[in-house]
Amino acid sequence: MGRTLVELFYDVVSPYSWLGFEVLCRYQHIWNIDLRFRPAFLGGIMQATGNKPPAMLPKRAEYMLKDIERMGKYYQVPVTISADDFQRIFGKSSLGAMRFITAIDMTQPKYLEPLSREFWMRFWSQHEDISQLESIVAVAGQAGLSSEFTQKLLDMISSPEVKNRLKETTEEAIKYGAFGMPAVVAHFNGKPHLFFGSDRLELLANVIELG
Amino acid sequence: MGRTLVELFYDVVSPYSWLGFEVLCRYQHIWNIDLRFRPAFLGGIMQATGNKPPAMLPKRAEYMLKDIERMGKYYQVPVTISADDFQRIFGKSSLGAMRFITAIDMTQPKYLEPLSREFWMRFWSQHEDISQLESIVAVAGQAGLSSEFTQKLLDMISSPEVKNRLKETTEEAIKYGAFGMPAVVAHFNGKPHLFFGSDRLELLANVIGEKWLGPVPSVPSSKM
Repeated sequence: MGRTLVELFYDVVSPYSWLGFEVLCRYQHIWNIDLRFRPAFLGGIMQATGNKPPAMLPKRAEYMLKDIERMGKYYQVPVTISADDFQRIFGKSSLGAMRFITAIDMTQPKYLEPLSREFWMRFWSQHEDISQLESIVAVAGQAGLSSEFTQKLLDMISSPEVKNRLKETTEEAIKYGAFGMPAVVAHFNGKPHLFFGSDRLELLANVIELG
Repeated sequence: MGRTLVELFYDVVSPYSWLGFEVLCRYQHIWNIDLRFRPAFLGGIMQATGNKPPAMLPKRAEYMLKDIERMGKYYQVPVTISADDFQRIFGKSSLGAMRFITAIDMTQPKYLEPLSREFWMRFWSQHEDISQLESIVAVAGQAGLSSEFTQKLLDMISSPEVKNRLKETTEEAIKYGAFGMPAVVAHFNGKPHLFFGSDRLELLANVIGEKWLGPVPSVPSSKM
């Protein structure tokens, strides 16, 4: 029986995407799946669907402070969060980072997993910036990219090809029904099936077993 | 070691509350917990926190049609949903039903579990009304209440005592930080801890030192 294609649409600004990412990275070696990373722009999804970050509701933001800490511990992902982080999410855009990740996807996709992880580590574990050029260079170094290759990617990120690729991936997530992230799309029984959130992976496992 | 107090704040208008309810009903006999049902009014929580039903976002409503069907199957809860249901949720209030359930909680709490279940069955499995008097009478009958007792409860539901009790329970949920339902509050390490949603029960188990055996613990769960 062939492997089930499982696509993960994610943006490094999203802490819950990190949880889903790490769990799927572990299961790609256990489940009979073909895991494909789809870096996309959460801001674009929000704009297209009229959705808002959950943290914009005060009581929900308070809850997220606890939820992310507990989920991070349980999922063994070093994500931490404090009240300052909400300002950071709303203030800085992840567009540059996601374009850089898109450029890697188009050139050397083997770096996609470590590079995405290093962006999350910087933003959601070390609580440092990922929007400035210097920040992206630092992250690329952590992921094992050479300086020359990093420079080549930086030259690419404002190109129409990279911008369009990120735009198309984002539109594909929207076409699958995504309204937030992480958006997991599993293909079985001849159709795509959307699973939203880092807390639908047990359900995904159950459905793939039967499908 | 004493049992961990686990409170479930729920409203029968909420399909995800039904999922959380059934799973906790199963685990109350397995985990070392003292499960307490806290019927509360979701409309009141929404109003106090400025939150809105997720179904009001069109793409989210579309997703819920699939999510609730799949979760219902996996959790073995007979909830089904169609696009018409959103109109029903927005149109009819669950206030009368929750006051009736509150009245049972104040008089014969042993009926709380079957009565709540029958309200969900009617609203979320049979897709029938729960706001009219006749509907509440029918649900009470299904739950095994006598006609006399049902009438007595109906007389109570407009009383200040019942109204205040529902109001206080709702305010307690809000005080614990609830902004939606189901809201599970577990008491340990000398503090209350909020777990929101029917998908935080595995985490709850981990935090209180219990084992998660899937949503239907009598049956082997998926390979995880």
